[in-house]
Formats: sequence, C-alpha cells, structure tokens
Amino acid sequence: MAEQSANSADDRLARLAAPAVTEAEATPPRHPRGGVAARIFSGPLPWLLPAVGALALFYLYPIFEAVRLAFTDARLFDTETQLSMRSINSMVGSSTLGVILRNTLTYTVASVVGQIALGLAIALLVVRAERARLRGTLVLRTIVLAAWVIPAIANGIIWQLLFSEAPFGAINSALRMAGVAPVAWLSDPGNAMTSAVIATIWQGTAYSMILLYAALKTIDPALYEAAAIDNARPWERFWFITLPHLRAALVVNAILILIMTLNMFDTILALTGGGPGRATEILSLYAYGTVFQNFELGRGAALSMLLLVISLSLTVVLIALLPRERRG
Amino acid sequence: MTLPRPSLFAAAMATALPAVAQADDLITRNRVGPADADNALTFRLTAFDLYSADEATAEAFGEMFTDFILDNPGWRIDTQLQTGAIAQEQARIVEQARAGRGPDCAMIDSSQLATFKEAGLLAPMTPYFTDEEIDDLFPFVRDGVTDANGDIVAWWWFTDLRVLYRDTTQVPDAPQTWAEMQEAAASVAEGGMEGILFNAGRDEASAFDWLGHFWAQGGELVDEDGRPVFFEGENREKFLNAVKLYADLVESGAAPARVTALASYDDLLASAAAGSTGMFIGGNWMYAQIQNTMTEEQAANWAVSPLPGPSADERATGTGGWAIAALSDDPAKVEMCAGIARLYAGPGNAFQRLLPTSASLYAEYEEFAGPEFQIFAEALEDGQARPGVPIYPEISNQIQILLGNVLSGSATPEDALDAASAEVMDAFERL
Repeated sequence: MAEQSANSADDRLARLAAPAVTEAEATPPRHPRGGVAARIFSGPLPWLLPAVGALALFYLYPIFEAVRLAFTDARLFDTETQLSMRSINSMVGSSTLGVILRNTLTYTVASVVGQIALGLAIALLVVRAERARLRGTLVLRTIVLAAWVIPAIANGIIWQLLFSEAPFGAINSALRMAGVAPVAWLSDPGNAMTSAVIATIWQGTAYSMILLYAALKTIDPALYEAAAIDNARPWERFWFITLPHLRAALVVNAILILIMTLNMFDTILALTGGGPGRATEILSLYAYGTVFQNFELGRGAALSMLLLVISLSLTVVLIALLPRERRG
Repeated sequence: MTLPRPSLFAAAMATALPAVAQADDLITRNRVGPADADNALTFRLTAFDLYSADEATAEAFGEMFTDFILDNPGWRIDTQLQTGAIAQEQARIVEQARAGRGPDCAMIDSSQLATFKEAGLLAPMTPYFTDEEIDDLFPFVRDGVTDANGDIVAWWWFTDLRVLYRDTTQVPDAPQTWAEMQEAAASVAEGGMEGILFNAGRDEASAFDWLGHFWAQGGELVDEDGRPVFFEGENREKFLNAVKLYADLVESGAAPARVTALASYDDLLASAAAGSTGMFIGGNWMYAQIQNTMTEEQAANWAVSPLPGPSADERATGTGGWAIAALSDDPAKVEMCAGIARLYAGPGNAFQRLLPTSASLYAEYEEFAGPEFQIFAEALEDGQARPGVPIYPEISNQIQILLGNVLSGSATPEDALDAASAEVMDAFERL
C-alpha cells in the first residue's frame, strides 16, 4: 500500500510537470522558419476566410456594384454605359426628391414609433398576464405573430380590401353601422399616408413584441418585488425599472425596424401604388419605379445609395443611444 | 380465354397506365414534351393559360400543347413562368437575354414591344408566317411587330380595348358623347348609386384607360422623332379637355372621389357585381367576367358600347394585348416559337375568347360569333396602340400622378400638366 501510494504520488508529480513541457512544445515559436505565411495559417484567418468570402460575394459585391452603377448613366436597354455624374445630379436636382424624402420621413417615423409602442404594450401585457398565470397568452402571441408571417404584398392587399371606400368596404361599412361618416382612407392624399402607416404597424408590431418580450423576461423579478415593498406606483415601476432595463433592447429594436421600414415598399405598392398623386410614394418605392418602370439603372442605383446613406446615418445616431457597455 | 376478375382488372390497368402516365408526363410544371427529347426550347409564359388556376383553361391549353409537341417530334419545351409583376418580369427577360441567359421564346407585353425592338433582342420571324397571315393583321398590330428593316419580329397574338359598360336598368341607351356620359352618370348618382367608375390610381391601367379620351380629339403624346409633345400647342388643350372630363365627373359627384384609389379592373367588376355603380370604363375581357361572375339575370342587365368621344364621330380606345417573340439565333427554335405563337393566336384565342389580331380569325371560329364581338370589332376600328417609344413609361407614370393630384383636388389641371411635362422632359433628356 505504501509503495502504491508512493507511486501514485510520483505519477501526480509527473502529471503536474508534464503539461508544462507539452505546452511549451505545442506553442509555436514566435518567429518560426515559415515566416509570414505560417503565422497567418496558424491564426484564425483560415477559419474565417469562408465566411469573409461569402460576405464579400453576397453583400459587399452588390453594394460595390450599386455604387459603381450610381456613377454611370446606365439604362437597362443600353449596351454601353459611361462613367458620369448625370444620375446623381439628376437625382439631387429633381424637384420630386423633396416630396419623396418628406413622405419617407413621415412614413418611417410614424411606423417605427407605432411599432415600438404597440409592440412594447403587447409584450408588457403578455408578461403581466403570465405573471398572473392567466390563460391565453400563448394564443395572444400567436395571433400577433400571424400578422408578421404574412408577406408584405399580401398585407397591402388585405388592408386595401379593409380600407375600400366602395359602399361595401369593410371598415367604412362598420363605421356606417355605428353612425359614423365613412372615411376616404385611400383616395384622400392626407389620409392615404395614415392608412399606409396603419398597415405597416399592424404587420411589424409582432417583431417588436418578440424582441421586447424576450428583454422583459430578463429583468430580475426581485426588482419589482422591492419596488412593491417601497409602494412604488405602476408608472414608477415602468419608468424607473422597466424602461432603463429595456434601453438596449429598445435601441436595437429601433435600429432593426428603422432599416426594415426604410426598405419597405411592397406594402405601399399593393395598397396605394404611391398615390393618390405622389402622396404615399416613399424613397424605396421611387427607386423601384425608377429601375423597373423607367429602366434607369444608374439613377435607381443613386437613389439606393441615398437610402443606404440615410439608413447608416440614422443607425449611427441610434447606436450612440446604446448603453456604453453594449456599443462594442 | 376467360380471366378471373382481378386478373382482368390488372391487365386493363397494365394497358391503360402507361398511356395515362405518358399523357401526364408530356405536361409538367416546367416542361411540355418528353424529358429526354433531343431538342429543347425555353418558353417564358404568363400564368393565364397552360398553367392557369382555372382548371378548364389549363386542360384546354394542355391538350393544345400536347398536340403541338406530338406534331414536333424530338422537341421539348422547357416552360418558365412569369409572375404578375409585368414590368419587372419584362425587364428581367431583357437583362437575361443580354447576358445570353434569356429564354428562346417569350411572351411580351405589347406595351414593351418597342423597348425590345430597340434593344435589338428579337429574332426575325417573317419566314415562318405567310404573306396572307401578315397582311391579315390589323394595321396597328402589323406596325407594332415590324422592325425598322421591315421584318416581323414578334406575333401579337391577342389584343384588347377599353369600352364603356352600363347597367341598362339605370342607363338604357349607350352614351355616344362625353356630355351624354356625364348626364347619364349624374342621373344615376342622384339615385344614390355611383354614377360611373374608372381607374385613376397609380397604375398603367389608369393612364391607358384615360388616353382614349385624349386620342379621340386627335391628341398626340409624342412627335415622329419620339419627343414628348402632349403638353404643347393644340395637344395641350386636348390634354386638358380630357383631364377636365374626369375632373368634372368627380366634382359634380357623378363619379366618386374614390376613383383615385382605383387601380384594378377587379375593383370595377366588384362594384358592378354589387350593383353599386351605373357605368364603368373597363376592358373588353370583362364582358366574359360579367357573364361568369353575375347571375344570368343580373348579367343580362349589363351592356357594352364603345367609349364616348367629345362628339359621336370622334372616338378612340387604347389597344393592348400580348405578343410572342423569339430571342434565339437558332432558326429551328425561332420556327418552334412561331408555331407556339400560331397556337395561341388561333385555337388559344378562340378558347379564351380574347380578341384576335387578324380579321379572318373572327370568321374562322364560331366562338367569336357573339354580338359583343361585333361591338368590339367596331371599336377596334378606333383602336390606338401606345406609342412605341422609350419615354412612354414615364409619360404614363406622370399621367397617373397628374390624375391623382387633380381628382383629389391637390392641383389644378394646368399646374399638374406643367409639373408632368417638366418631369417627362427631364426623363427624356436622360434617355
């Protein structure tokens, strides 16, 4: 036994010593004979290359191509194109651009604020109901999510039917039954934008709800219990506990929704086509029409670049609102 | 020899199954003909015939294509479906054809024919049609499919036109002039219904339906060189007259303000079926839709007539439709494409009761014997195709915007026309 224990003690000593030697052998020398190539291949780069290649091919190249096209006079049916500032100059000098940008601002701000506010309200409702062990929260979440899985073009068609101003239009018929005068939802330039925003909020709310619901679940319930002991009122709990803890999630949510809304054109295309006149024509829809109706590739690319610059600028502004530790 | 029943059944099935399988195999979702055929032709088609959601239509075209492929042994047609986003699909065909990846044969919207011709993508089909067939085409159709060299580069297989539909219980007599149309619409509106409906939203249909009123006065959108002229000289007055026709209808209440949100013929049909409108401006194909959608009694109340003009003698209507063209250099493929075009123009048209582009076809098929075809044929005499110039899409876009702005009260006709002309000329200078 004594011999055995002496042996095992030696083994342990040997094992303790062994890793030091092995690690030293395994660690490549700082300046191996292979030079730069060996150093590159011993690092993480080879493992990252496929991902970097895929990103470059499928994301960076199209952006590069769009930038290149923006500096040409390319049209879909012309075989030869020339480097030119004509597309950008015509875009900047167009009297229409101001109207389009104003529409885009109105639509985006109203849609983003609406989606976040409604998404947060539903998420709070679901969490509250879960805490109270009420039934039906899963059904509620599923119903809200159902709107999100509908394609945007179908969403536009659905709302077009609902907003129909025909004598048999759904919402107006309900209003008439309630003794309220029918509303010119889509034919009045002022109302048409409101209708487009409602349709967008209806579909996009689910996305906000999911993100904010997940963030709400991470808030420590002990904080609310402590607040309850201190007799904090509901709005105080919301203002001093919920909102500060949701700050990062709200900002990330705003960034994602902002980009999605700026790029959204299919709902409006199906709902109003951008009309009446140009009342609901936003930048993405204008760029789409420029390329696919007028076949002006160069000008369409320039408009897309403008959209990209606006998206990036607003994203940078929103990132500045993130808590410092989340910015990295 | 008497076989026991199960064996008889098995023998019958063994005989029948290969035939059924063979017939089924000839038409699939992406192919017509045997999969292992030596020659293949790619054909980009719309979803309204061979792959129609309507079973009877799909079946009828399936039989026509089966006969066609059996008459052309050694060939297979690889079918490619276009979506409903017409402008986008047509642009895609051009892009792909330029990159050498386009279809060998494709359906082309007649409004885009000029663009395809200008891009030089279409192969001449003249050798595959007889002189009689070419001469028999309506003049505006022949002009549309002929290139600068005098070659037939597409086969415009059906056309359509805009007409006035009316509920005869509300409007017994067909209005012949704008004034009569306004009077009839106002009279219907006084009864609590919508007097007249027309598309005035953001869609090509709105511009094209309206253009008949401009053309009826002899208005011209572009000059011989393709330069926009609709806003200057006599054209300006004619253009404003046509805009004011719609504006007066809305301002007087004869047409509802909601027309600025109408951009689909389906909306017009829905209102007609609901009995909430007295008249509407629609396409000739809606006649069949009315018969299919409404009860026999209800449908019998609806009648069709040519679009009214400023006077009974001044009429015009926009004519559209689809063409089939070859985008291949291979003569054998071009000949196959011409064969497909002939298939659509003859029996295909007869089945769907679309408007043929050749006068003789109206007499050849009994399907065109109905009284409505006499009215359509009469209206076709005043038919006018869209100008085959690259600036047309922007002119159409600006007309749509102008109609929306004027009819919603956001701009006067004069200001809206000035804004539209400035935008169109900007676009023209970028061409």
